[in-house]
Amino acid sequence: MAPRRLQRLGPWLALLAAGLGLTACSDPSANQPINLAQGVPVGAVLALTGNANVYGQDQRTGLNLALAAINGSGGINGKPMALRLEDGGSDEPAANAAFTLQINRGVLALVGPTLSQQAFSADPIAQRRGVPVVAPSNTATGIPQIGHFISRVSAQSSVIAPLSIGKALALQPSIKRAAVFFAQDDAYSTAETVIFQKALTAKGLKPVTVQRTQLNDQDFQNQITAALQQKPDLIVLSLQAMDGGNLIRQLRELGYTGMIVVGNGMNTPNIYPICQRYCDGILIAQAYSPELATPANRAFLKAFQANQGGASATPPQLTAQAFTALQVVGEALKRLDAKTPLTTLTVAQARTALMAEILKGQYQTPLGTINFTPEGEVIQKQFFVAQVKMNPDGRAGRFALLP
Amino acid sequence: MDDLLQILLNGLSVGAVYALFALGYTLVFSVLGVINFAHGAIFTLGAYFTYLLIGGGVGSNGLLAGFQLPVALPFWLALPIAGLLSGAVALGVERVAFRPLRKRNADPLLALITSLGAGVILVNLIQLLMGAESHSIPTGSLGSLPAALSFGGARIRTVQVLLLAVSTVLVGLLTAWIDGTRSGKGLQAVSEDPVTAQLLGINSGQMIQIAFGLSGFLAGIAGGLVGLSVSIAGPYFGIGYGIKGLGVLVLGGLGSVPGAVLGGLIIGLAEALVPSDLSGYKDAVAFGFLFLMLLVRPQGLLGKPLPNKV
Repeated sequence: MAPRRLQRLGPWLALLAAGLGLTACSDPSANQPINLAQGVPVGAVLALTGNANVYGQDQRTGLNLALAAINGSGGINGKPMALRLEDGGSDEPAANAAFTLQINRGVLALVGPTLSQQAFSADPIAQRRGVPVVAPSNTATGIPQIGHFISRVSAQSSVIAPLSIGKALALQPSIKRAAVFFAQDDAYSTAETVIFQKALTAKGLKPVTVQRTQLNDQDFQNQITAALQQKPDLIVLSLQAMDGGNLIRQLRELGYTGMIVVGNGMNTPNIYPICQRYCDGILIAQAYSPELATPANRAFLKAFQANQGGASATPPQLTAQAFTALQVVGEALKRLDAKTPLTTLTVAQARTALMAEILKGQYQTPLGTINFTPEGEVIQKQFFVAQVKMNPDGRAGRFALLP
Repeated sequence: MDDLLQILLNGLSVGAVYALFALGYTLVFSVLGVINFAHGAIFTLGAYFTYLLIGGGVGSNGLLAGFQLPVALPFWLALPIAGLLSGAVALGVERVAFRPLRKRNADPLLALITSLGAGVILVNLIQLLMGAESHSIPTGSLGSLPAALSFGGARIRTVQVLLLAVSTVLVGLLTAWIDGTRSGKGLQAVSEDPVTAQLLGINSGQMIQIAFGLSGFLAGIAGGLVGLSVSIAGPYFGIGYGIKGLGVLVLGGLGSVPGAVLGGLIIGLAEALVPSDLSGYKDAVAFGFLFLMLLVRPQGLLGKPLPNKV
């Protein structure tokens, strides 16, 4: 009976396989002219839901500010940029689906996704379909190496992370025992912890314990009590904001009073409500300083403060990086359109030419002057180390830059 | 010795959460023979209710962005009210997802699916109203209590001691109610055979509502306490606990209240026994243990063996 049923199913399965094959291989929309009816189509995929939504919210602000700046200064040579934002969730399947949707819509470039873990899954889709990606916040090793359509404005961890270790030792030279925590199921965390551990070892501080967590862990009692038995005086975390914030709070509640260095995953003011007063004093290396005295940063700062809470508000790094990513796409589109009008190109031609234009340019951004290696890696000159200073009520704080 | 005490405390504190969570599953399973998959969403609601009742404001996303109740209750008062509100929602879930199917004598499996649907709708409703961001109950909500306590050489956070204490008290009260009161015995009768219980004059429908109300209350209390302990990580906060609670339910024995407690504590201790440098694999160890236990004792630790049907 079963083989007979299978026989009946055979043609349908073959049809399904053929359909899937066609979907995977062909991209008829790419050979069409660019649909400029609503403006120059650009897509963004950010984590607006799930654990990483704390980053996506900061990034959405940056994209909105960049879009207003681009369209406020004439758009893409007179044509407005039409940005379509999709929620990429906080996991790989959601990011993959959002990338595919945006590509099928005919966007010329993509900004996103939020997490490195998602990038390793979603970027190959863009690479196969020939769509330029400018990553605003992927810092794990190997992102631009996914393919020649992939670039990033977020400097990789290996450049930034060791700075905060050096600063911790400068502030407290007596540090002798370092404990390390990382989320073993997250690409960013696993990549960054390797860099942190190398930096510690280079400073003569081989970690006394390495504790593994998982991205969705909320209770760290086991790992913390085990680590505290080793009597560390420096704890280094490569975790995302939600789990990292929780871990810091639980560390302090369980009596740890030493220094804490955190990685880029906690580079958002959204950690304040999670670790609250216990966030105070943590050290973090940053790729952005609100104090950078360049015209690009002053304009960005002014726009941010006008939109987000007044003259005392300081933009988070993720907001500045998202702004930069869309600025890069916008400037490259302008140059491309000036050389070869977009109206004369197909979607596929424009995507390929745009990627070359992105990599060729030099950009005056809120992060300072940046450009790219031929591989798509950002070249950025200035980095900073900040210390979190919480307000007395423990509900808000700021990243105070250290000299 | 200190290490053993620390492992024991770690295991008990985590196990108490699992037990409290699984009790709600157990109550509903005992009367309907089906798992209420909306339980995790009600747990999440309990955390959000607690957060709002203590005066917490909604973040920048969601339809209620910036909303804050005009009153800010102390945590001690907010928690039971959140439990009651969660119980009310659980009654609503019973009304829309379980009762219509029960009236039509539908296969219990269908109720499992409708409860899953109700849970998904609740979670999405939370996201629509409150946004997807995390919310935290302020660290000072326990008043002047210290952040952590020491027992011998072991340390445990005060909120976890509180969780353990509340779980113990609730389990005690629940057991006393089931074994020592007329309505509790009515619940037992319905769980044995709802038709016979009805013939004996017990209002089965009412007993089922009581089970749902209590289950929702327990979920709300658990959600509020866990939210205080580890923050509310967005609308999907209860999913991880839901999966672990299912494991506990099965390990303890489907429908057994003492089994839920025992199962929770055993899984908590199994996780605590995982060496700390391998603690990223604690879920695999806990569920591996569950798998092995069920091979030996399929009815769970305190469950009744299934009768052989001829």
